Amino acid sequence: MSLTFSLAHLMGGIILLCAFLQLSQRRLAAMITLYQLEALILSVAALWQGYAQHEMALYLTGLITFALKAVLLPWGLREIVLRFNMVRAVETAMPMALSMILGLALIGVAVLVVLPTTMRSISLTREDLAIALSVVLLGLLLMIVRRNALAQIIGFLSMENGLVLAAVGMPGMPFVAEFSVALLVLLAFLVVGVFLLRIREHFDTLDLSGLEEIERRGR
Amino acid sequence: MNFALFAIGLPFVAAALLGLAGTPRQGAIGNAVASLALFGLTLAVFWGHSAGLVAVDPLAALFGTVSGFVGLTAALVNIGYVSADTARMPAQRWRLYHALFQIVLGTTLLGLYADNVGLLWAAMEGGTIAMTLGVSLYRTPTGLEAAWKYFILGGVGIGLALFGTMLVYLAAQPALGPGFAAMSFTALSAHAAHMDGALLTLAFVFILFGYGTKAALVPLHGWLPDAYAEGPAPLTTALSGLLINVALLAILRFRHLMQANAAAGGSAMPPGPFLLSLGLASLFLAAFSFSRRRDARRFFGFSSIEQSGISAFAFGIGGPVAIFGGLLHMVLHTLLKSGLFLALIRAASLRGSASPGNYGFSHLRGLLQANKKVGWLLGACIFALTGLPPSGLFASEFIIISQTIKKNPYMSLPLGLGLLLCAVAISRNIGPLLFAPASYEKPKPAGRDAWLVGLHLVLVFVVAFAMPGPLVNLLSHAAETLQ
Repeated sequence: MSLTFSLAHLMGGIILLCAFLQLSQRRLAAMITLYQLEALILSVAALWQGYAQHEMALYLTGLITFALKAVLLPWGLREIVLRFNMVRAVETAMPMALSMILGLALIGVAVLVVLPTTMRSISLTREDLAIALSVVLLGLLLMIVRRNALAQIIGFLSMENGLVLAAVGMPGMPFVAEFSVALLVLLAFLVVGVFLLRIREHFDTLDLSGLEEIERRGR
Repeated sequence: MNFALFAIGLPFVAAALLGLAGTPRQGAIGNAVASLALFGLTLAVFWGHSAGLVAVDPLAALFGTVSGFVGLTAALVNIGYVSADTARMPAQRWRLYHALFQIVLGTTLLGLYADNVGLLWAAMEGGTIAMTLGVSLYRTPTGLEAAWKYFILGGVGIGLALFGTMLVYLAAQPALGPGFAAMSFTALSAHAAHMDGALLTLAFVFILFGYGTKAALVPLHGWLPDAYAEGPAPLTTALSGLLINVALLAILRFRHLMQANAAAGGSAMPPGPFLLSLGLASLFLAAFSFSRRRDARRFFGFSSIEQSGISAFAFGIGGPVAIFGGLLHMVLHTLLKSGLFLALIRAASLRGSASPGNYGFSHLRGLLQANKKVGWLLGACIFALTGLPPSGLFASEFIIISQTIKKNPYMSLPLGLGLLLCAVAISRNIGPLLFAPASYEKPKPAGRDAWLVGLHLVLVFVVAFAMPGPLVNLLSHAAETLQ
């Protein structure tokens, strides 16, 4: 039992660390790598919970998380970064240090809110929940402090990892696999949405080159 | 027979069919036929029996029927809308449009009928995705921007709501243990007294902000005016009010859990203050946002925020009578807003086209010259929206105000002030819209579907002032169980 606890907490801790480090990254590529690591650990955590709780649905959640979030989504995001030439672009709306201090404060809030209110629950859920809430809040913060659409998406993805972490820690909760799939559909739409937005901007630049074309002909 | 399952399933089947084949006109007609069948099914739900994941209580059945009715009238008006606007989009995208129309109806009914917090959440999520696709359908820059806003805010709301849902499940563990029972509203409400109150309070905060996003409560309302203004009118404007209802009912049901826990001596905080403050904030934000709105659909989007705030305020006051008032307000507002938007679509098509961007007040003004019938109908709808008598909304607002004076007198002052400001701001638009001298134009025919607007107005009046006995029983019983 103690191994269950410590491993689950270790993985929760790594996920929290990844979420926090995303705040301090300037480059999109680094954020994506951190997200990938986060998703990878999350899938391991889901598998571990499946083993500890003897739930087939959690194994399924873990496998889906691994295949889609740790492999497919990061690949798609990197593709977008390359195709739209955003390798260097990250504008922050707030100084890095300030956002990290805010992040620390949010983790404190999450722990202070969750631990006293869950005295009656079993302790595995308690600490997992505190970590999950911290990851959710950090994801929200990331969405606030970045102006780049793709960075906002990564914040959203990270928030969603926190949700799945909370879900796999719930004892015997039905629909966990379905929840994670439903969230993934939302995520996929988000990523495609960015893609479309970017394509529109791309077309705008094409329009500009069209203007140059006219100018050249005029000459 | 469990008609509710058919009512939920039909729109999704229809969506698949409409999405795969048909010209725009065939799609519009098929959409109307499916909506008619759906309306029949939502009526049949009253006499059906249901159990398990989809267990319909009378309140959900009532709102299902209201949704079915609004869907039907929107689908009828949609036929004219599509035939006038066919050239603006390729046929494939019209198919997507009609499929989305049905999906929004289906997710609305799933959200209303589900007796499971997880299914409710899934329905809201599906509705969000469908609406986002709907808003961005015309692919205009402003449309894409509105869709992006909707997606980010809606996505965050959906995420918070899921976290709240999981916390409710955890809070129910001491009473119900693991499994499906801890996610069913019926079981939760029966065992609310033994739930973990502190955890329930935490859950309610997440639920309130999560579903509050979908109900457009301030400070999470930002998506609504843009989404109303940029999408195709029958879909994003006439139908999106239905998802607001789903979110408000969800908040009401979770509020009931908390109230029941607090009343039974549990450690949950009373939910009133949360709802009162969000409700008042919505009311006042709307009151001050009405001025300087140039687009009519955006303007009436702010009015939806106002009405949503009034209902949340009524739920915050609590007690069977105030909740009765809040529920009545939701029913009346849904019917009235639907009628108003249909009239607005007619008015815009009188001036050429009903596609987005043609709803400016300056573009529409002087409607009586174009067509007397449409002008007066639209004027009547806008006047009814102010809540001044003899409008139907007066009845529900009167109930809410009198309950506020009785239970929480200090709150009645800001409520009254907010209502007054909104009424003044809305009624200021009636004059120019109807009577302003427009450039000379020949009167045009009103279109065959203008009577639908009148039907909405009559229904609102009847429900407010001559409410049939069974409806009174249904609403007061629901308000008592959910107090």
